[in-house]
Amino acid sequence: MRFRLAFVLLLALATLGAGPARAVDPRPTVESIGEHVMCLCGCVAILNHCPHLNCSMQAEMRATIQKALDEGKDEPAILQLLSQQYGVKVLAAPPTQGFNLAAWILPGLGLALGLGLVVVIVRRWRGLRQAPASAETSPDVDPKLLAAVEEEIKTSGLGMRE
Amino acid sequence: MNEVGTIGLIAALAFAAYGVIAGALGGKLRSPRMVKSAERAAAAFFVSITLAIVALETQILTDNFHNAYVAAHSNRDLPLYYKIAVLWAGQEGSLLFWTWLLSIYGGLAVLLNRRKNRQLMPYVVAILMGTGVFFSSITFFVANPFGELSMVSAAGLQAFQPADGNGLNPLLQYHSMVIHPPMLYLGYVGFAVPFAFAMAALITRQLGDNWIRTTRRWTMVPWMFLGTGILLGGRWAYSVLGWGGYWGWDPVENASLLPWLAGTAFLHSVMIQEKRGMLKVWNIVLVITTFFLCIFGTFLTRSGIVSSVHAFAQSNIGPFFAVFLGIVLFFAVSLLFLRLEFLKSENKLDSMVSRESGFLFNNWILLAAVFAVLWGTIFPIISKAIEGQTVTVGAPFFNRVAVPIGLLLLLLTGAGPLLAWRKTSFQSLKRNFTLPLAVAVVVGAALFAGGIRHFYAWMSLFLCAFVAVCILQEFYKGARTRQKTGGENFLQAIYNLTMRNTRRYGGYVVHLGIVLLFVGFAGQAFQAKTKGLMQEGDELRLKDYVLRCSNIVSGDTPNYSYQKIQLEVSKDGRALGTLDPDRRFYKASQQPTSHVAIRSSLTEDLYTVLAGQDPDSGKAIVEVFVNPLVAWVWIGGFVTFLGTLLAMVPSRVERQMAEMRQAQEVAVRASNAL
Repeated sequence: MRFRLAFVLLLALATLGAGPARAVDPRPTVESIGEHVMCLCGCVAILNHCPHLNCSMQAEMRATIQKALDEGKDEPAILQLLSQQYGVKVLAAPPTQGFNLAAWILPGLGLALGLGLVVVIVRRWRGLRQAPASAETSPDVDPKLLAAVEEEIKTSGLGMRE
Repeated sequence: MNEVGTIGLIAALAFAAYGVIAGALGGKLRSPRMVKSAERAAAAFFVSITLAIVALETQILTDNFHNAYVAAHSNRDLPLYYKIAVLWAGQEGSLLFWTWLLSIYGGLAVLLNRRKNRQLMPYVVAILMGTGVFFSSITFFVANPFGELSMVSAAGLQAFQPADGNGLNPLLQYHSMVIHPPMLYLGYVGFAVPFAFAMAALITRQLGDNWIRTTRRWTMVPWMFLGTGILLGGRWAYSVLGWGGYWGWDPVENASLLPWLAGTAFLHSVMIQEKRGMLKVWNIVLVITTFFLCIFGTFLTRSGIVSSVHAFAQSNIGPFFAVFLGIVLFFAVSLLFLRLEFLKSENKLDSMVSRESGFLFNNWILLAAVFAVLWGTIFPIISKAIEGQTVTVGAPFFNRVAVPIGLLLLLLTGAGPLLAWRKTSFQSLKRNFTLPLAVAVVVGAALFAGGIRHFYAWMSLFLCAFVAVCILQEFYKGARTRQKTGGENFLQAIYNLTMRNTRRYGGYVVHLGIVLLFVGFAGQAFQAKTKGLMQEGDELRLKDYVLRCSNIVSGDTPNYSYQKIQLEVSKDGRALGTLDPDRRFYKASQQPTSHVAIRSSLTEDLYTVLAGQDPDSGKAIVEVFVNPLVAWVWIGGFVTFLGTLLAMVPSRVERQMAEMRQAQEVAVRASNAL
């Protein structure tokens, strides 16, 4: 029971830990939003990290963000605007809707399932270690033979060592 | 020279194919002559590929632009050390290089096992040569570096040699790029050897600990190279890409991390098999996974199926790699299933709180990290296939998903080695963990009082303190015991302790290196940056730093022209010297790039970039970053490298046992002779 409880708890933690919730910047800037969108010049880099000198695409996107900030839009609204303007690929991380939610859930789920697997393996190993001690759980062992062996141990004094 | 290279490739392909057949038949028929012949084929494979390498490198160094590869990736004024690196700068050359490294590993495996593992070696040769067949075929048939340029004229098709080549990609013209790809390839390719031994063990049913013991060093070598290659790649990104960071979770970066993580899991997991005869199936699975991820990484980098800063140009080699991956997986997994009955565990777990369970949890975390990174890396492909929608999975995703996993791993780095085999008592836990926990709590409280509120950074530094004390405590306790029993001084005791069990204490040094890496990673949370337009006399401020533009100069070299800004740096009114980031325009490739200038210290880096020129004012655009603790990333990498080397050195006990075995063999031979 304890294992199951721990497993469920860790599953929840893992899923939450790897979940999409991210604190929204209350005072966004071009720089802070630029960390969450891609430059679409072909450099395959975050907007702030575009390695191209005087990149026109970077300049255009930064201007779009600045304009939206000047209009008083908040971070989610600006990301939504960029997504509408350039497509969802502009976002540096998948949105948390529809099929894309799988991107966020599966790593946490994998972590939790892996833990579950480790726990099951450990319990099985420990169970297997204990199994021969019980005649009921070891049908392969002849109960008469087992009784004879136990009697032998008793009479020989070997059992006293424990 | 192209003919020589082509002959070398054809010969290599033929020798590799022969090596597969002779190795497999020699093993099956137990024919020493055939096995010997297969081993000679492996040596001939090495010689043939070396011939091809010499043929290509000669053309690169002599500017033979009649060769299409040389014309595409080199130019006359390229400095010599970059010309050497042209060999691995493009698709065709790097695949040839890959094949060459495989031939070296294969040759070494044969050489070092000529008197041992005789039952395994025929199949080891066959597996390695099988991989050689694939890579030499790809290099010969699909991505041949010995293609020639020709042009159509009135007289028909004629050989063509341009006056100069297109030049090396400017982003690759950086000193660590000369060594980073070879390191990475030495890692990728090297994992073929443990894979070959694992498969040979499955085929021959020799599934005891022998193959594990034999492959331990064969795993540590590529693991060390891969890790070093990854860090050198980070150093390159930090110094060349100009965004102030060293790891961007790019698909190609991820592709190199995946086999490293799986290899790390294997290196830990083998210890359980050696000590307790457990996890035999799991170890085979890990070897297969690591090798699969090596090939998968190469496939990702070269097929163009994912977009990356580092990827080679799109090419048609993807389907060939996909087929090879399928064959590897089918062959390895089928073999594993056929041999499951020989892989039963010899022992059972005695306690949840034991070294064994610590390793299990370590494997869980490492494999969870592999899964998370792999999933994020391939998710855009899956999304495109299922939804028809192109999504990006970049740094924000990986930072959120991988950082908690990394922190769990860091915790186990310290806690795992302190757990005893079989069962750890509560008293032992208390004895081992009280001091590390107390120090970590003090450090954590001090960090909090010092104003650190970034949770992951705080947690990382807290755990770093915990793990560091765990490790140092192990050295201290061991040395004190030696001092008491042997009368050695403390330093002598530390040295003797380490050399007596290099594997254990080398491992601790590696763990210490990992701690230093995490200290560096934590610093990234406190990065500060600014950007400004500058001309002579202008100042830019960031934190306590003042940067004053003293001069902007232009210049010219045979390879590139440049513009350089000289920034006089002072901190709290104290002059610290000059930084001069530049932007370069490479003549052959007609591409611009920037070279950052960094003032590095143990506490922080001052990182400056000449990002361009403002079109309106004509002033220089300068970006400045303060990156705390970055130096610890490189120091941590170096310590990890040293620790791995140390763990590979045979310990005194191992050497004594080897000497005893040798003496026994001599005695047996002598008695037989009499």
